[in-house]
Amino acid sequence: MLPNRNLKATPAHVDGMSITPIVKFWCVFKLVWIERMVYRLNFFLEILSGIISSLIVVFLWLAIYRSAGSGLIGGYSVKEMVTYLLGAGLINTFILTTAENPETSQSIQDGTLSTMLIKPISPYGIWFMRDLGSKAFLFLLGLLGYMCVFFFFRDYVLPPSSPGYFLLFLLSMILAAILQFLLFEVLSLLAFWLENTFGIRFTMRVIMEVVGGAIIPVSFFPEILQDIFMLLPFPYLIYLPMRIYLGKISIGQVPLELLTAGVWIMGLVILNVMTWKKGIRHYVAMGD
Amino acid sequence: MRQMAYRPQFFMMIVGKIVRIGLLFFFFQAVFLKVDRIGHWTYYEVLLLFATFHIVDYLMSVTFHRNLAFHLPQLIQTGELDTRMIMPLNLLFLLSFEMIDFIDLLSFLPSLGFLAYVLCRLQFAFSWIHALAYVLLLVNALLFLFGIVLIIATISFWTTQSFGLARIFDNLLKIGRYPLDIFEGVLRTVFVYFLPLVLIAQIPSQVLLATLSLKSMLYAFSITGVFLFVAISFWKMGLKNYLSAST
Repeated sequence: MLPNRNLKATPAHVDGMSITPIVKFWCVFKLVWIERMVYRLNFFLEILSGIISSLIVVFLWLAIYRSAGSGLIGGYSVKEMVTYLLGAGLINTFILTTAENPETSQSIQDGTLSTMLIKPISPYGIWFMRDLGSKAFLFLLGLLGYMCVFFFFRDYVLPPSSPGYFLLFLLSMILAAILQFLLFEVLSLLAFWLENTFGIRFTMRVIMEVVGGAIIPVSFFPEILQDIFMLLPFPYLIYLPMRIYLGKISIGQVPLELLTAGVWIMGLVILNVMTWKKGIRHYVAMGD
Repeated sequence: MRQMAYRPQFFMMIVGKIVRIGLLFFFFQAVFLKVDRIGHWTYYEVLLLFATFHIVDYLMSVTFHRNLAFHLPQLIQTGELDTRMIMPLNLLFLLSFEMIDFIDLLSFLPSLGFLAYVLCRLQFAFSWIHALAYVLLLVNALLFLFGIVLIIATISFWTTQSFGLARIFDNLLKIGRYPLDIFEGVLRTVFVYFLPLVLIAQIPSQVLLATLSLKSMLYAFSITGVFLFVAISFWKMGLKNYLSAST
């Protein structure tokens, strides 16, 4: 968590009971869920549009497999490919692209950060919990919506390759969710200097989708591009979890990959802290 | 001057779009490393379709798309539409083209360059008639999209918010960059007749490749006419419903 320069995280007291940070963060987490339920229609449409886009990509690939004639393309069977694409679509739509941390940017721009600074909870913690809360919420409901899609393609969707792989898959998804937050958060913090960060975040999202393996496994790209992509943090967002799910990576290699994702997370935490520290000095509380 | 206020943000979006074109180019390259055609579309034919789609998408996003899809619902919500209504100009025209930044057109050059590259690599019998038909069909595609965007934007007269729908539309639109005749059954019928996304890139590309019948071309023009007619009638209906809130 990032240090708040003006305030020590002193426990707040309500009715003589002290509220621990965990309770505070839990409240923030719960609030996001309540808020999300207010805009049910938009939310439903969001799920629908996510499902439509992945359906189309699956149909496209079914057509590609049909015209290729051979059962294996790039080492993927048609079932593996459909499973990959649906899983990648689910992760991409509901974990990665629905939360792009616009709140950070916005509160810096319109000055609402000022009121957040005087709350007994670090703004950074609020953003983090709100982001995780919204991801968890969207993912669970998105998963429900996806059940129809999975049912529709039931002849194609493969189960996880083993229970062990499935647990590692879940772990890699959690790491992906945190990694994604940190990647976009650092861009959002640029709002201390820029008037708008929407364009930068949009560009980052585009890169994330392709390089991260949302539309195609990274191994399909020409070798030189693969080498470059694997040096970036993006493949840990989608490509790694889906490879683990399908068992397309040896179990001995998984810890190393997860560790690398962990190193990326640590590095981004440091970058975030530095940006925040510099930025908060630059903050002018515009609009307040 | 208003355009200047939005420039940095919008410029980055354009950069994002160009990056996406580049990355999707790699995507198709990656696919064609493994297969030699999708349906009956060869590599360069798919790239032509793709370049065409992005030219239309680009022209839409620098002209009416952000004005109608994002700006108009805001004007309706805040009641600022009033000030636009008293201006001595056609209201719909003003609203559609209020913010156009000509600097953005510079970033259009890479897309054109890409199209030129694909055309050089494609082996096909070029004819001026087909080229002219191609340009006309691009205009047709833009008019068709204008109709749809206008319909979605008009809904905000009642809901004051059509963001979710606009998002679904943006997602659906992306389908237009794939050759749609590879789909079978219901999907094919949907994309040809009900939500004719074939109009955006497939039909213009086919005419350039001389694989389109005159009948399909006439179909493309007439369906755009229908969409435009519906959109404008709907817009007029919406305008009567305008509550001029907060003024």
